[in-house]
Amino acid sequence: MVMMVSGVGAFAQDKPKPVKIKASAIQVDMIHSDEIKLPAEFQVSLYEDLIEQLQKKGGFAHVYREGDRNATSAGELVILKSNVTGFKEGSQRKREVTTVAGETSIKIHCVFSDKDGKTLLEADVTGKVRFFGGNLRATYDFAKATTKIARENFSATT
Amino acid sequence: MQSSVGKWGAMALRTKSVFLLGCFAAVAWPAASGFAQQAATDAPFKVVVVKGLQGVKDNTKGTLIVGDGSMHFAHEAVKKDLAANSIEDVVTGDDSQRVIRGTVGTLSWFAPYGAGRFLSLFRTKLDTVTIKYLDADGGLHGAILAMPVGQAEVIKKDLLAQGARTTVTAEDLAKAPAAGAKEKQ
Repeated sequence: MVMMVSGVGAFAQDKPKPVKIKASAIQVDMIHSDEIKLPAEFQVSLYEDLIEQLQKKGGFAHVYREGDRNATSAGELVILKSNVTGFKEGSQRKREVTTVAGETSIKIHCVFSDKDGKTLLEADVTGKVRFFGGNLRATYDFAKATTKIARENFSATT
Repeated sequence: MQSSVGKWGAMALRTKSVFLLGCFAAVAWPAASGFAQQAATDAPFKVVVVKGLQGVKDNTKGTLIVGDGSMHFAHEAVKKDLAANSIEDVVTGDDSQRVIRGTVGTLSWFAPYGAGRFLSLFRTKLDTVTIKYLDADGGLHGAILAMPVGQAEVIKKDLLAQGARTTVTAEDLAKAPAAGAKEKQ
């Protein structure tokens, strides 16, 4: 029995833990779409949902908005810049009537960098709404996925 | 004698003219002042804050008044004032929503023979106003408001008159009619 328990312990130790980058605060910049034409309501919804999710589940002591003067004095600050690389505006009516058609999806390239502009992490994140909910629900899906990436890679205490 | 009649005639004509002018002034003045009052009184718009207005929960219904250099949103005890000059961008859009919503709308999905799906075909159109504004610390916020069709442009015009800014002007919209005509449900 003791051997079995110690064996399980050894197995758990073998699993490599991802090394988290120390960051106590994050600044979220407004989502940009240089090449893709993104409606203003999607841009704002992406930004607001991202900030809300990071505040709730990101694990950061402070979440700053773009332009916030308090961010300049924050130590161990990570800056998140996002650029839309793909956007397909579906139809809620089609989704509800057919179930299979009318998907809305947004692809975004996220770059986490430090104060000096050095890239710490890059990720491509997709937000989708397939069945229920309005088109803007895709922004919530993106925010949840990005927050998960941030939580898995950054920590206030290493 | 003739000159006396002419004198009296001219006086009568002058009296008539003064009387008519007085009547005109009596009618025109209240109308003009009423119009001025109408312009100064800011008509409230019924809106839904979809998301993003600081201190207001998502999907809160309320009234919006634009005037005195600010945008004022009120819902029962919840009140939010936003200085128009802090608004960096105002953009209008359109959307639609299911006619039957809420609990009844959710329950309709369990109705037999795909009745819920059928009800999804019936939708009402909406206008949206998306704003970007700065808080006291310079932090950028975004908010989305929804309102009945035809009110978005009025709200935008009012906000611009109060000192808000926009990146999409009326000329830009006129240049790209195809983008606004696309189907969006």
